[in-house]
Amino acid sequence: MTDGSYGNYISAVAKSAARRKGRRVEWKLLSLIGVYAMIGAAALYLGSAGAADRKVVFACVSVVAAYFLVSFYWHYSGYRGDCFLLPLVALLSTTGLIFLFRLDPAYGVRQFFWLLIGLGVLLLTTRLLIDFRFLSDYKYIYALAGLIALILPVFFGQEQGGAKSWLDLGIFNFQPSEFVKILVVLFLASYLSENRAVLTVGTRNLGGLALPGPQEWGPLLAMWGISLLLLVYQKDLGAALIYFSTFLTMVYVATSRILYVLFGSTLFAAGAAASFYMFDHVRARFEIWMNPWPNIETTGYQIIQSLFAINSGGVLGSGLGLGFPGYIPAVHTDLIFSAICEELGLAGGAGIIILFMLFVYRGIRIALKTTDEFAALAASGLTALLGLQAFIIIAGVTKLLPLTGITLPYISYGGSSLVANFILLGLLLNISHEEESDL
Amino acid sequence: MKQNILKLGFLLLGLFLILVGYLSYLQVVRNPALASNPYNRRVQEMENQTVRGNIYDAKGVVLARTEFDGKQGRRVYPQGDVAAHIIGYVSDRYGRAGLESAYDSYLLGMEGSDSVRNFINRLLGKEQKGGDLTLTIDSSLQELAEQLLGNRRGAVVLVDTRTGALRVVASAPGYDPNRLEEYWPVLVQAADSPLLNRAAQGAYPPGSTFKIITAAGALADKPGLADSTFNCQGYLMVGGYKLTDLAVHGEVDLKKALAVSCNTTFAQLGLGLGTDSFYRTFKAFGLDQDPGPGIAVRPGTLAAPGDMIQTELASSAIGQGEVLVSPLHMALAAAAIANQGVIMHPYLVESVRDSSGAAVQSVTQRQWLTATTPAISGIIKEGMIDAVRGGTATAAAVSGVKVAGKTGSAQNPHGKTHAWFIGFAPAEQPRLAVAVVLENAGSGASVAAPVAGSLLATALAKGY
Repeated sequence: MTDGSYGNYISAVAKSAARRKGRRVEWKLLSLIGVYAMIGAAALYLGSAGAADRKVVFACVSVVAAYFLVSFYWHYSGYRGDCFLLPLVALLSTTGLIFLFRLDPAYGVRQFFWLLIGLGVLLLTTRLLIDFRFLSDYKYIYALAGLIALILPVFFGQEQGGAKSWLDLGIFNFQPSEFVKILVVLFLASYLSENRAVLTVGTRNLGGLALPGPQEWGPLLAMWGISLLLLVYQKDLGAALIYFSTFLTMVYVATSRILYVLFGSTLFAAGAAASFYMFDHVRARFEIWMNPWPNIETTGYQIIQSLFAINSGGVLGSGLGLGFPGYIPAVHTDLIFSAICEELGLAGGAGIIILFMLFVYRGIRIALKTTDEFAALAASGLTALLGLQAFIIIAGVTKLLPLTGITLPYISYGGSSLVANFILLGLLLNISHEEESDL
Repeated sequence: MKQNILKLGFLLLGLFLILVGYLSYLQVVRNPALASNPYNRRVQEMENQTVRGNIYDAKGVVLARTEFDGKQGRRVYPQGDVAAHIIGYVSDRYGRAGLESAYDSYLLGMEGSDSVRNFINRLLGKEQKGGDLTLTIDSSLQELAEQLLGNRRGAVVLVDTRTGALRVVASAPGYDPNRLEEYWPVLVQAADSPLLNRAAQGAYPPGSTFKIITAAGALADKPGLADSTFNCQGYLMVGGYKLTDLAVHGEVDLKKALAVSCNTTFAQLGLGLGTDSFYRTFKAFGLDQDPGPGIAVRPGTLAAPGDMIQTELASSAIGQGEVLVSPLHMALAAAAIANQGVIMHPYLVESVRDSSGAAVQSVTQRQWLTATTPAISGIIKEGMIDAVRGGTATAAAVSGVKVAGKTGSAQNPHGKTHAWFIGFAPAEQPRLAVAVVLENAGSGASVAAPVAGSLLATALAKGY
């Protein structure tokens, strides 16, 4: 007993030291990012003289300071979340901010405010949702809320960039699917951890295959329906892909049954094939992907301009501000990666990809360290969500996959996307916070 | 489940690795088709950031320069349509042509020390400059030649026989490169092809002007021919066909045959020469090649060996049949006779200077071909002198200067004969060779020879 409590004391001291060390590492990394952001801002400011460009210096200083403030707050409130995720996100988001100022200062200014709001939301998430486990208890309530939010744009939505997934909220447009994707992960984590045993083993036997009953797979079928709904009614192929692939990976992680993945993929492929024949816009997307060259002036214009930009970058790029990414339509949102590739070259493009790999590495590490299934599924689901989104859009702009209208997390312009991804970051951090204290 | 999470991690990292691999392929294995695609405006943008260099004529007259209207540069050709075919054009929409295209990288400062200088300027956000070209063309002579062509279709080439410097390369009809984009649809569709550089790209039957080449071939083959005579009865039977002459010339020697342009004699000479020697002579004068003066020249053509039957050989020997050459080729053939059989490499660009004024490239005058021997060229020269003195080419005479020349009236399927004249002056110490062609304009003696005479007179008076 005495030994035990002494041991606890020792481990508590060690952990407290480790925690402080962790935040110190975070500060060091944030300082380096501060230097990085200042070099970028200075290059933009000196490269093109003009009063408007002074804003980029101010914005970069403020954003880095805001990251430090978040980190300081965590330090003094004893928060034990992972110390590498915040610097990773800081690096991605300052890169995005600098590029937005370079592409169009008006977007840069707005992104600056969205970043501050995002960091505020991050703080709130790490404070209010620190006991994230309660989320598991209300899953059907917010699953319903999410579903409604998702369907609303079908009736009241606005079409932007070919996708009808936006709600006009007066002062700004709001994209529910960005937030609902997090709810979906939480719902699935909760649902799968609850029904894992049944789904894995099955309750009935069908020709040698053990299958669960309809009450177990019913909700999963609903997920498939939602994905197709997104695809067909909102023309939001990207979101549909992200939802569905995240869903499949989570089902696999929970049940280890590759059969579900194969079955789900087949269903999705069938749905996609059907919509290929039924809906012109889906067919057009596919044809542009296969061969954009005959339609170089119209539908193929965007992806071809993206390829031009990426190809012109070479290994080291043209240099910040010296390329011509302005020819790419939607370069500030979905195709910002092409601009980075043009001006920073393979070095910059591969660098961004490596940052996402590190993010995934930290996320998987958090998921592996957790002790319970809900947290593990939630952490791996959130990581998969972010990783797959980054993969799908980067593969889209390089024409490895069909180009879809989704954002590159933390880099692309977009308030909904930025705030939602900061909530995602907060939830991952909360899971890592818990595991550090439970050990 | 941990196992599955780990697998998920590897899957995601694997996907990203694929992306890195594919991105490396896209960015490192550069695709030149992407960079040069007309929808990729990056090359054009790079150019717009650069002040394109000027083009000057031999006397320093500006032929092309870039003017700035605010930030947007505009290419201006102060001499209008003078030498438009040689200078060429640069257009966002219609590409580039002529020397503007051939010397693009120099004019844009992408070569030598300019490339380093402009790279630094680009990084510093400073103005980037290209180098300048100085041509061998004399714009006042060029303008005169274009005036002499008038609104007829044709071409004039004037070349310095001693150096190969091209002083005039005129083609009519022309166009004003300043208003190219405006008139492009008309220019492309016009029946008289104003965009075509007839001097270099034209494919004309040379008619009787080709006889100097047949003569050179025959004399090389049988040197004794210089002293023999030929009997012209006004026609020649070849392979069952009757090849009629313009007149019955009677007993003529080679010089006289050149002076009066006797078809019967030269058809006989061609037949005597045989196919192989005829081809060899064609090649010796470089007629089958692009001499590479800085703009593209259409290599001359003639009937393939399989088609070179007796009638074809006889026609080819008098510049008819399937023989097609450019005016520039014929000017060089005249230059060969003037220059004791040696053709100097023809050139249009005298020097290239970079943006700091340092010479990047200057022409080294060199021999291009040895077409024939001094003895043979001497015999042909006398025939050509006789032609101007009292033969077919009297209209090319210049007072106070002895001119050597040969006319041609080339039959063609498009109507009246093409009027030809080739020649050089002064005959004793030749400095300039000329070729004139006027499409479907009639006889060389009455139409082409006077053009050559006026141009030679002015050029010699100017000291060329």
